[in-house]
Amino acid sequence: MNTTNTYRRFALSQRVEHVVMLVSFITLAVTGLPQKYAAAAWADAMIKFFGGIETARIIHRYAATVLMLVAVYHFTAVAYRVVVRRVRMTMLPTVQDARDALQTFLFNIGLAKQRPQMGRYTFEEKVEYWSLIWGTVVMIVTGFMMWNPIAAARFFPGQFIPAAKAAHGGEALLAVLAIIIWHMWSVHLRRFNKSMWTGRLTEGEMLHEHPLELADVKAGVAERPVDAPTLRKRQQAFLPAAGVFSVALLAGLYFFVTFEQTAIITLPPTPAVQVFAPQTPTPLPPTATPRPVGDLTWEGYVGTLFADKCSTCHGTAAGLSFATYNDALAGSTNGPVIVPGDAVGSTLIAVQSAGGHPGQLSADELAKVKEWIDASAP
Amino acid sequence: MRRRRSWLVFTLLFGLSLALVAAALVFAVPRANAAPDAAPLAVGVSNEYCLECHGKPDQIKTLPNGETLYLTIDPALWAASVHGAGGYACVQCHTDITAYPHPESKAQGRRDVTLQLYPTCKQCHSGNYERTLDSVHQQSLDKALQGAPGGNKNAAVCADCHNPHYQTRLTNPDTREILSDAHVQIPQTCARCHSAIYDQYKESVHGKALLEFINPDVPTCIDCHGVHNIQNPTTEAFRVSSPQLCARCHTDPARMDKYGISTQVLNTYLADFHGTTVTLFQKQAPDQITNKPVCVDCHGIHNISRPDDPQKGLQVKENLLKTCQKCHPDATTNFPDAWLSHYVPSPEKNPLVYYVNLFYRIFIPTVIGGMVIFVAGDIYRRLFKRGKGAA
Repeated sequence: MNTTNTYRRFALSQRVEHVVMLVSFITLAVTGLPQKYAAAAWADAMIKFFGGIETARIIHRYAATVLMLVAVYHFTAVAYRVVVRRVRMTMLPTVQDARDALQTFLFNIGLAKQRPQMGRYTFEEKVEYWSLIWGTVVMIVTGFMMWNPIAAARFFPGQFIPAAKAAHGGEALLAVLAIIIWHMWSVHLRRFNKSMWTGRLTEGEMLHEHPLELADVKAGVAERPVDAPTLRKRQQAFLPAAGVFSVALLAGLYFFVTFEQTAIITLPPTPAVQVFAPQTPTPLPPTATPRPVGDLTWEGYVGTLFADKCSTCHGTAAGLSFATYNDALAGSTNGPVIVPGDAVGSTLIAVQSAGGHPGQLSADELAKVKEWIDASAP
Repeated sequence: MRRRRSWLVFTLLFGLSLALVAAALVFAVPRANAAPDAAPLAVGVSNEYCLECHGKPDQIKTLPNGETLYLTIDPALWAASVHGAGGYACVQCHTDITAYPHPESKAQGRRDVTLQLYPTCKQCHSGNYERTLDSVHQQSLDKALQGAPGGNKNAAVCADCHNPHYQTRLTNPDTREILSDAHVQIPQTCARCHSAIYDQYKESVHGKALLEFINPDVPTCIDCHGVHNIQNPTTEAFRVSSPQLCARCHTDPARMDKYGISTQVLNTYLADFHGTTVTLFQKQAPDQITNKPVCVDCHGIHNISRPDDPQKGLQVKENLLKTCQKCHPDATTNFPDAWLSHYVPSPEKNPLVYYVNLFYRIFIPTVIGGMVIFVAGDIYRRLFKRGKGAA
């Protein structure tokens, strides 16, 4: 066995495609799963790391756009290989793959004597490839509905959108777990298969993993060389069709990511309720009951008014009493408060005019008292 | 060889130990209580002395700005009040007054009188007084007193809500629970300044239950806004945390079961795009504006109506569509069904979502389980059967 011989497994374009896809896949996973498990502390930390939920969503959408571009490219590239170069369709699943899987498992647990001999793509690789295809289709369809829910609800029942969200999350979890378990085990841990980076496998590796392909290569039947004129003829037919198709897909993609403004950006103004809207105050202070006005004399008006307004305190306070006409004219310990004929010179008027006196007379009452004093206080 | 084996064991363990951890936030909301720190005092000036004048009707003083100040205290109402019945003396609060004549007052108007007097409350009610210092009312008052824009000198202080002379008991002294009569008084008290909001509240499902049926299960103003340390409810932080406010009652089966109201309203909201986003904003950037709705954006704030209300209830599809269109103006008839209306998906409600979830609950373990079994077989082979067969 020649261990220095190497065989080309992946073209540079395929390796670049893989890198772009893995970057977008990981970005989608690390920005998407925290949204599915947003209540968890780890998710919270991751979203914070991406600069908050809105930024995480924007990153997720950019990564989704990249993945969709890869999908469009992949479709076109596969079509080219199948239609123009007419390569063998070694990725198609066959019944033999199921047999190989069963035999591998039986061999692993000691119930079969031989590992199966497999060709260019083993059943493990086919499982992974077709899982990715299935997953990507589900993610694009459900992603479209979440990205453009209003457009989606024009054609489908509204419930499709939360259902799409459920499927998107379920499929995401499935994809990530499958990558961690299946892909990590098969190409990183079991034996680090570097061919997706170097593009080549050694003869030993080929013999171990793809013996049937190695045999085909050695027999010269692995590739189907096309002569130059035929190739050109096929290219001439393929390229315009592929061009139109790719442009259509890219236009669809552009529509996908730009079509809908789902919600308004700014909040609707809160309905205007006047916050400070004091009630009409209850008619506190109740207005003083107007006193019956008889003659403007002590008996007719002033005596009753003073009894009502002043006598609470001025039975004794300041030595002043309004109990009788004589008491009122006698005045306080500081002298008379009523000077008959001289309202302006009367202390009572001075005190009451200043305002704020307990038992304050209303303006109307005060005017009458003034008038009474000026009329020599009859 | 050994190194390789340990790698394999590690891988096996790693592959099998994919666990996801969920954390729940627990909110504990402390309740504020009014606990007077001072007892009635034996003081020099008796209440009778004060009431000799102030017990007389129509004791009116005209203040410098022309407003009249009503100085009469109704002795019967005073005696029935919590302070009167407690035997407190007028001069315990009116500490500047020792006799007649009273010292000169600098108050220009009625508001000045209140603002000069209310700090006296803190002598006994220091706890609640201090709580008010953090309130939106105090902030507004401070602004007004500093002449800054946006302030209002009428922002409530103690005495605006609790008439110090006539306030009767609000809480049960033993349990500290609000008395059922007092429940009704709360919105009416706030209405003195917030009458427009009160007008909405009294027509709402909560307000009607309280004011017409004296139902203590419904929230009054203070259940959402707090009592003394009332926070500004127009901030973004208040908005994004408001679902937790509603949830305090709406996730409590003891309260909701009586009325047949679902207690799943919070978790169904949080499971949805809107609720997930709002929660993340609440945790990570509470002050940042988000356009995702919280409870009140769809249900209303003070004017919350029954879900089956023909005009506004969200169980009525046209009403729900109109509500969606507030933020999604292009939404059409099918769109409101994208929102699961607080129902947990089941074969009856939202069956499609239920079955998609069910599919993945079966499909994921099947696929991943198959992969794990297969990989485990491979690992087994490599650990224990090396060199046998054509490897």
